[in-house]
Amino acid sequence: MPGLPETVPTEAYLALSAVLFGIGAIGVVLRKSALTMFMSIELMLNAVNLTLVAFARQFGRLDGQVIVFFVMAVAAAEVAVGLAIIVDIFRSRRSADVDDVSWLRG
Amino acid sequence: MEFLIFSVFAMVSVAAALLMVLQRNAMYSALFLVLIFFCFAVFYILLGAYFLAVVQVAVYAGAIMVLMLFVIMLLNVAYPEPADRALGLLRPIGWSAALVLASLVAWVAAGSPGASVARTTSGAGLALGTVGVAEAGHVQEVAVTLFSKYLLPFEMTSILLLAAILGASVLARKRPDHA
Repeated sequence: MPGLPETVPTEAYLALSAVLFGIGAIGVVLRKSALTMFMSIELMLNAVNLTLVAFARQFGRLDGQVIVFFVMAVAAAEVAVGLAIIVDIFRSRRSADVDDVSWLRG
Repeated sequence: MEFLIFSVFAMVSVAAALLMVLQRNAMYSALFLVLIFFCFAVFYILLGAYFLAVVQVAVYAGAIMVLMLFVIMLLNVAYPEPADRALGLLRPIGWSAALVLASLVAWVAAGSPGASVARTTSGAGLALGTVGVAEAGHVQEVAVTLFSKYLLPFEMTSILLLAAILGASVLARKRPDHA
């Protein structure tokens, strides 16, 4: 198709990553359920991963991709522990509502 | 052709992200997130990160989301979600702040020195990068970098995963005092 760039420019990936990061941030702030907040955090992590891989492609180096590999591993560990915490809280509270978890509030 | 694929999947991922965030049903949100992860795998393939695309599908969509879906079903919190907190004026303020932030980041990304480097070298430099990218991103190239330059973070990640396994097992075990 004439007029379209031959290959996708890095700015396009950066803009997409920014938009998705913003949507994930909205989700973290607006939602009340701990599980949906978790999913929004995962969306933010993925947006950053996209930025890293886009720059790895631009500069022709693989460091960005290796960093993304570590981010994925850490995200998997974080999700496992976070869900275990949510399950534990839910067992005693019968609710996944983050506003209910306010025992430490002054 | 590549731009067409990118724009289609970009629109799909943004729409799915908005639907995921504005959804009442946690199960539907999780399924939208799985769709987003598959779109990301397509982006990684377009960017030449073939190993990461497979890892994305296997780890994110295949393990993390399955775990989340299991927890959603276990806790039975799918629907209805508790009513949103009384935000009042905060909701439009939040949306406009997010819009400002996203446009600011996108504007900076489009006008930053790195991006202008991309524009000026997109012809020659990307050709230079394409030669490397044609081989890069496969398992062997990623492994060479991973196990030489990033060996220490790799080993520490294994310790982190061990800690996560222990932590999750301890936190989620059956306690004798619970019903």
